[in-house]
Amino acid sequence: MALKHRPAAWPWYLLLAAILIGLTAGLWVATQRVHYEWRWERVPQYFAYRAEVPQESPVAGRVSAIQADGALSRVVVTPADGGAPVVLPVETVQVAIGDAIDREDSVGDHYEWRIGPLTQGLWVTIWISFVSGLVGLLIGLITGLCRISDNPTLRGLAILYIELIRGTPLLVQIFIFYFFIGTVLNLDRIVAGIGALALFVGAYIAEIIRAGIQSIPKGQTEAARSLGMSAFQNMAYIVLPQAFKRVLPPLAGQFISLIKDSSLVSVIAITDLTKSGREIITASFATFEIWFTVALLYLVVTSLLSQLLFWLERRFARSD
Amino acid sequence: MIEVKNLLKVFEGRGQPVRAVDDVSTAVAMGEVVVIVGPSGSGKSTFLRCLNGLEEFDDGQVLIDGIDIAGSKTNLNTVRREVGMVFQHFNLFPHKTVLENLTLAQRVVRKRKAGEANERAMALLTKVGIAEKANEYPSRLSGGQQQRVAIARALAMDPKVMLFDEPTSALDPEMVGEVLDVMKQLAREGMTMAVVTHEMGFAREVAQRVLFMDAGRILEDAPPAQFFTAPQEPRAQAFLKQVL
Repeated sequence: MALKHRPAAWPWYLLLAAILIGLTAGLWVATQRVHYEWRWERVPQYFAYRAEVPQESPVAGRVSAIQADGALSRVVVTPADGGAPVVLPVETVQVAIGDAIDREDSVGDHYEWRIGPLTQGLWVTIWISFVSGLVGLLIGLITGLCRISDNPTLRGLAILYIELIRGTPLLVQIFIFYFFIGTVLNLDRIVAGIGALALFVGAYIAEIIRAGIQSIPKGQTEAARSLGMSAFQNMAYIVLPQAFKRVLPPLAGQFISLIKDSSLVSVIAITDLTKSGREIITASFATFEIWFTVALLYLVVTSLLSQLLFWLERRFARSD
Repeated sequence: MIEVKNLLKVFEGRGQPVRAVDDVSTAVAMGEVVVIVGPSGSGKSTFLRCLNGLEEFDDGQVLIDGIDIAGSKTNLNTVRREVGMVFQHFNLFPHKTVLENLTLAQRVVRKRKAGEANERAMALLTKVGIAEKANEYPSRLSGGQQQRVAIARALAMDPKVMLFDEPTSALDPEMVGEVLDVMKQLAREGMTMAVVTHEMGFAREVAQRVLFMDAGRILEDAPPAQFFTAPQEPRAQAFLKQVL
């Protein structure tokens, strides 16, 4: 006989399903109320679309033949100067046999896949987050080490920096960085955006690194130093590798926050995912669909990152 | 080998400052095994930790092989290469395998090539009877095995002196023997050793001199035969009555 009676779990799953269905229904009713017309079919074109590109003739001459080949047509242009005939593949033909063609005249259109603004914005968000995360990690590492240094100057500077950043809103920091520092140093808006994000995340990472280093038992340093390792070697080979393993989960959270916080750089006209979304809405009026899509894209990126870091964490757990 | 002159170490607590090591002078000759005993809080561990500068002392002098470890021109890291230390809680590097624990300092401090460092490490692991665990992580080892690895790690630097800070105090009783055996073998081979321990059997069998410390002072300094049978100081007599 079991000592502990375990109640069945299925009623709770049923309740969960009911709540989710209820929420979906509520959302649907709400959009009915405001007479919103969903136009999801407008969204895919903002990821990628087929652009019409005019096919220009490289030579002047006369259309000598048009050969059909499935959806494609081949326009054959025989140059006026008696050179070899040129074959131009097009999807919509705009000329007839015998037409005189000048150089750079269009003989028809063909289609090419182009990347849409949502994909472009997503890409900008990813690489801005990546670069500022990397720079922030470096800043955080240095600041974290200064923060626990015995030198009062280094420690004081580290504390000042951390407190300044943590005590002010990121949005304000971005404006200051762009309008003040950016103007003084004549920075590009992308550089200013990345700089502001890196400084912001660096302050938080510094505190994470500091806590990580302080969580490593003193005996580790004593063992390393008693073997003749210098303070630097002790940090590099003994303390930091162990500290890094411990701070991976909070660091992961910080990087995920960074991706989300990077949406704020749209205020200094960097066309990231958020700004792309706003621009698309002014053209398509598909407000709800685009914002939902943008949210979903952020969710995909942050979930992928959290999976990656989870995998990394398990790899490092080998020595436990 | 080790010379200590008027060593003073004061801990500034919230209350009265405590003289953990109070005007201690002694010496350990080459090849000598000195065991330091005394009640807890007597300052024996602090004294030992002063010998390789892990504890910064307030006054006095420590000379290792004639080099003043607190001297303004002394590179403490260079001195420490020659002074191996074994800790109560082993302090193995948990993120490194057993073999890496032994080779890391050889490579980065002694600048040995990987092949040479591995060879030295394997020879020492064989010596302490643990070669088959070379590629395990320390967390997989028992306490006794970890402490033997820690001894091998210190020996891998080819030190001239070995300091032991209560090397068996954190071990389960059945594992004390295997660690003491390694230390006895080391003593037989002529290693200069300073050992803080509560293992009176070890002191009696291996030590050339026993130092009894209480309240930061060395109260007795005698060969084990004399110390264990006819201690002079009343406090040493009281201590021995309790532990024997």
